[in-house]
Amino acid sequence: MSAGKEGRALSILRDVFLANVRVIKNNFRPKCIYVAVMLRRMMEAILNKDAMDDKDYVGNKRLELSGQLISLLFEDLFKTMISEVQKQADNVLSKRSRSSQLDLSMLLVKDSITLGLERALSTGNWDVKRFRMHRKGMTQVLQRLSFIATLGHVTRILPQFEKSRKVSGPRALQPSQWGMLCPCDTPEGEACGLVKNLALMTHVTTDQEEGPLISLCYCLGVEDLELLSGEELHTPNSFLIIFNGLILGKHRRPQRFASTMRKLRRIGRIGEFVSVFVNEKQRCVYIASDGGRVCRPLVIADKGISRIKEHHMKGLLDGARTFDDFLREGLVEYLDVNEENNALIALYEQDATPETTHIEIEPFTILGVCAGLIPFPHHNQSPRNTYQCAMGKQAMGNIAYNQLLRMDTLLYLLVYPQRPLLTTRTIELVGYDKLGAGQNATVAVMSYSGYDIEDAIVMNKSSLDRGFGRCIVMKKHSAVNQKYENGTSDRILRPPRKDDRNKKGENPDWERMQILDNDGIAAPGEIIRPNDVYINKESPIMTKGSLKMVALKDSDYKPSRQTYKGAEGESCVVDRVTLCSDKNNNLSIKFMIRHTRRPEVGDKFSSRHGQKGVCGTIVQQEDFPFSERGICPDLIMNPHGFPSRMTVGKMIELLGGKAGVSCGRFHYGSAFGEPSGHADRVEAISETLVKHGFSYNGKDFLYSGITGCPLQAYIFMGPIYYQKLKHMVLDKMHARGSGPRVMLTRQPTEGRARNGGLRVGEMERDCLIAYGASMLIYERLMLSSDPFEVQVCRACGLLGYYNYKLKTGICSSCKNGDNISTMKLPYACKLLIQELQSMNIVPRLRLADS
Amino acid sequence: MSDSEPEAMAEADGVPSTKLPPHLELRRTRVLCKVDAPDNTDTIQYSGAYASLGHENSLRFADFCKDFRVDITRISDDDMELDMVGVDPSIANAFRRILLAELPTMAIEKVLIANNTSVVQDEVLAHRLGLIPIKVDPRLFDYLSENDTPNEKNTIVFKLHVRCEERGQRLTVKSNELMWLPKGSEFLKTSESLTSTSKPETYTSFTCSQDSMPEFAGNPIRVYPDIIISKLGFGQEIELEAHAVKGVGKTHAKWSPVATCWYRMLPEVELMEEIEGEKADVLKQKCPAKVFEIEDLADGRKRATVARPRACTLCRECIRDGEDWEKRISLRRVKNHFIFTIESTGALPPEVLFTEAVKILEDKCERVISDLS
Amino acid sequence: MEHTSFGDQRNATFSLAEEDHTLANALRFTLNQDPRVIICGYSIPHPSEARVNVRVQTTGDPAREVLKDACQDLMLMCQHIRGTFNKAVNDSRMKSPPDNDSSQGMDSD
Repeated sequence: MSAGKEGRALSILRDVFLANVRVIKNNFRPKCIYVAVMLRRMMEAILNKDAMDDKDYVGNKRLELSGQLISLLFEDLFKTMISEVQKQADNVLSKRSRSSQLDLSMLLVKDSITLGLERALSTGNWDVKRFRMHRKGMTQVLQRLSFIATLGHVTRILPQFEKSRKVSGPRALQPSQWGMLCPCDTPEGEACGLVKNLALMTHVTTDQEEGPLISLCYCLGVEDLELLSGEELHTPNSFLIIFNGLILGKHRRPQRFASTMRKLRRIGRIGEFVSVFVNEKQRCVYIASDGGRVCRPLVIADKGISRIKEHHMKGLLDGARTFDDFLREGLVEYLDVNEENNALIALYEQDATPETTHIEIEPFTILGVCAGLIPFPHHNQSPRNTYQCAMGKQAMGNIAYNQLLRMDTLLYLLVYPQRPLLTTRTIELVGYDKLGAGQNATVAVMSYSGYDIEDAIVMNKSSLDRGFGRCIVMKKHSAVNQKYENGTSDRILRPPRKDDRNKKGENPDWERMQILDNDGIAAPGEIIRPNDVYINKESPIMTKGSLKMVALKDSDYKPSRQTYKGAEGESCVVDRVTLCSDKNNNLSIKFMIRHTRRPEVGDKFSSRHGQKGVCGTIVQQEDFPFSERGICPDLIMNPHGFPSRMTVGKMIELLGGKAGVSCGRFHYGSAFGEPSGHADRVEAISETLVKHGFSYNGKDFLYSGITGCPLQAYIFMGPIYYQKLKHMVLDKMHARGSGPRVMLTRQPTEGRARNGGLRVGEMERDCLIAYGASMLIYERLMLSSDPFEVQVCRACGLLGYYNYKLKTGICSSCKNGDNISTMKLPYACKLLIQELQSMNIVPRLRLADS
Repeated sequence: MSDSEPEAMAEADGVPSTKLPPHLELRRTRVLCKVDAPDNTDTIQYSGAYASLGHENSLRFADFCKDFRVDITRISDDDMELDMVGVDPSIANAFRRILLAELPTMAIEKVLIANNTSVVQDEVLAHRLGLIPIKVDPRLFDYLSENDTPNEKNTIVFKLHVRCEERGQRLTVKSNELMWLPKGSEFLKTSESLTSTSKPETYTSFTCSQDSMPEFAGNPIRVYPDIIISKLGFGQEIELEAHAVKGVGKTHAKWSPVATCWYRMLPEVELMEEIEGEKADVLKQKCPAKVFEIEDLADGRKRATVARPRACTLCRECIRDGEDWEKRISLRRVKNHFIFTIESTGALPPEVLFTEAVKILEDKCERVISDLS
Repeated sequence: MEHTSFGDQRNATFSLAEEDHTLANALRFTLNQDPRVIICGYSIPHPSEARVNVRVQTTGDPAREVLKDACQDLMLMCQHIRGTFNKAVNDSRMKSPPDNDSSQGMDSD
């Protein structure tokens, strides 16, 4: 055994193996004990299955925050820089004859750290070679589609493991995520249950200094590990003290120790996010001050009596106190998932027993921001709330207070956004009532016209005329005034006007350039139509080569105008133009092009209960039913949407909204809010309705607008907050007759963006075969796609060619034109034959008479 | 009135024919509003519906004239309520539909924006302007068809020019800032040819000023005031010209002459049995619309009476609690008695709107007759 | 426009362009009230086309004439309604002139 190998093993044991337990002065004892405790635990787990740790338990998880990631990256970059410098210095110093003195600062690559950080931030790829870390998508562009999308995005938690694994454990709802992670807000599909969102009051801890806490532990009677033997460590009357995963020692009176620590935390002597957790089963006290733990505030109770008294709340309402004051005075404290296990938490003060240690602040805070928008979510079937969480992010409305100054690539706004009539406390807390994304529509739940099947809704034309669902879509178009390597640059020219003539006396383009200002850039407020030029730019023909200082002539430029391509027949407006310089110091011109749209058949709408539907038809107001008070609904929803979806919350929203408009008070529908008064009870709502002359069940006596007779049923009618979703037919509708084809196969192109054809696919073809529509198959698959005429040699079965001089087909392998037949086949087939030939496979066509 | 109605109706109906049995007569003339659903909502229109009973169901014009009645219960400058008795719902509904959709008014259709630096986007501003009611009789104007030039007979021009001059102030622009331009547009068309000697061309070609016309002399055209158009911050400015033309509510709700217009059938509340004592009190308490009243009988007992059936909003509170209440009280609607409400936007007074609506229905009939012959 | 089978004038479908429920429903009422009508009804074939088809089947008279009469009836009814209404308005104006005055005041502000 060589000394070198032994040394390496030792260094691995010292530096890599259980690196969190540090070896000081070659003292391996703590590490040994650590391994021994691990083995103990393992044996315990083998003997007793209950002692197994749950890897999906939220207390065993840590969130990785930006600070940690950046520090990791910085460390790597810094160390690489140092080693680079070291290598270079060694290089220089190893040279025998040196003229100048070594200057280390000269060897530093100046912005290697900056560039490294910039690259990681812009690409999102975290490559740390030393830890073999290759992670993608670590940075994301913040979603600014709607206010809720932004909030939802910043509270999102992405998992580390891949999504393709078919496991149910990590996807399942964990009881320990109560109050920390939203139980509703998760995407559908492959990331279901893996991607999570923070609940409303969750706080994610950051690292706190360990040194003072460790010495505090020793002061409070922790017996140092160094002084204990293995036997002493596990005496029955003592508990291990584990601090951030490091065994500090043992304590004989763990409960007293824990309560002292907590007391110190409540009076603010140690950080409010330090957690103290006594695990009776493992006979351990865990103290955690590391970053990435999720924790949440709870009201402290002494023997079941809340520390928060009337006068505290009054101070809060008056603004004399803030939440931080509550924290400082030890009325409220943060508990992490582990410490919650030592607490007995009552939902409400009246439920508290003498054993109760904490009281929940409010039950609705177990939900996140997106789920908090839903009124009465606790009355809905749970998947509906999950659907709404995904849909609320697509709703159009207000994005931010600076929305009209922003230059987003795509901006969806509502012209008349409203505040929901049925609000929740979450809505008020996050400010959705000020940046709403929807409108309170009067909805009648009834069937009408047959254009409302499959969740389609019928809309009132007059409502649309008056501005319901009207939205603004803004798209950014940008142009760069490029500088080239030979010193030339693009130029923007004054556009030709109507009376201008060029040398040939022509002026072909003035009509397309009417919207341009004299500076050659489109003017704000101008109506822009498809094929209009929005910047009259020209580029030099020569952009490379020698640097000629001679001024370029007009003929040295070629036009590189940018034209607007939008839907035909729609009139858009240039909303804003900004000029700025980009990172290469080129002049960059950005245009916001605005399009105001009114809802049309096929636009997607949704209520706040995961009930989406497209507009099925738009009906005149006079055809709509009307109530005894002359109220005419804005939209009609088919009642078949209710039984299978079980969105009772939506019905209560309707009742509450109706009571709200009649009594003039916003009603509340916070989750689980009935006992605490954050949600109105149906009984109270019904009473309000009756007081204002409505039926207690929200059903009105309606007259048909078509016949004038009363309808044969009472109709459930009232206001429901409806969101317009960003999916609109105008952006999606597509049809084509003839159009562009792919060069290689000569088949029609694919996709709307390329004006592609609509494919008769395999299954459609199967239908046609089953039907026996051979001519249709022939027409669709060949004539309308890629017909091609070929010359086939009947003798050898290969493809020939047509000789235009001899006006006959020639077979190139037989070298004659005696047995040539002309036939049609798809160009793709001809291509296949030739490609096979190029691979030395000879497909031969054998022709028969038809 | 409510008690004797069915009999009176039947008498007036078919003079030669036999009377319908009362249960059929009830079904023919009343909607029965039960707890779970209304019943007998349709009218029986077919003349031979009761042929087997020997009852002629058709309505002779003379009978119609005899029975038809209009009572005006409320009338003001911009809304009215009237009772129309003795017509079928289809006719009443036709009037309602015409009022909503087919009566022309003037509304701003084209907005020429010279300058708009406010936060309200051009097309939103135009949309808002379009919905402002204009107080002018549309009968004085012609429709502007596609290849017409806008002139004094088919266009009203308004000007709006506001600017917030005060630093740190918000200026609220209201609809009364819209100034009527009786001489037509003031904006010059970007001259087709600068050499033309004729007077500069504007976006309208008025032959005379509208205020010289007798209809508008001393009676300037105004819009409904107090409608907020936009708000301006310091230095923001709106300069525009709005051209109002004639149109109907079918094309766009802005041309609808009514804010809304609807009818309800006359409520009729019948007590099927005597409700006395405590129950009477309960009943009186139940109704939020205060339909019931208590009558003191001579012997000191209390009896519930139907005092204000018209106030019934059909909340069904009185028949909600169990079947016995449902048996005691019968809520009904009279199928041929309409309480019609018209809320005008201000262009025309409601009574004129109604007569115009009836005229339009007449015109429709006339058109069909002329098409058929 | 009229669609009728040849030689049978009693049954016909009339296609009225630029009309909707407003007229068709009212006509259905007046037609139904006519004893000569066996069956009548109307339909709007497609919501994006402003057109109603009115079907009339009579006991013997030409459907065209019956429909014409129905229109005539409706017209007479309208005229009577208008007359009655105007009278009622005048009556109520007579009864409550102060109401009228107050509205005048509102008009001038």
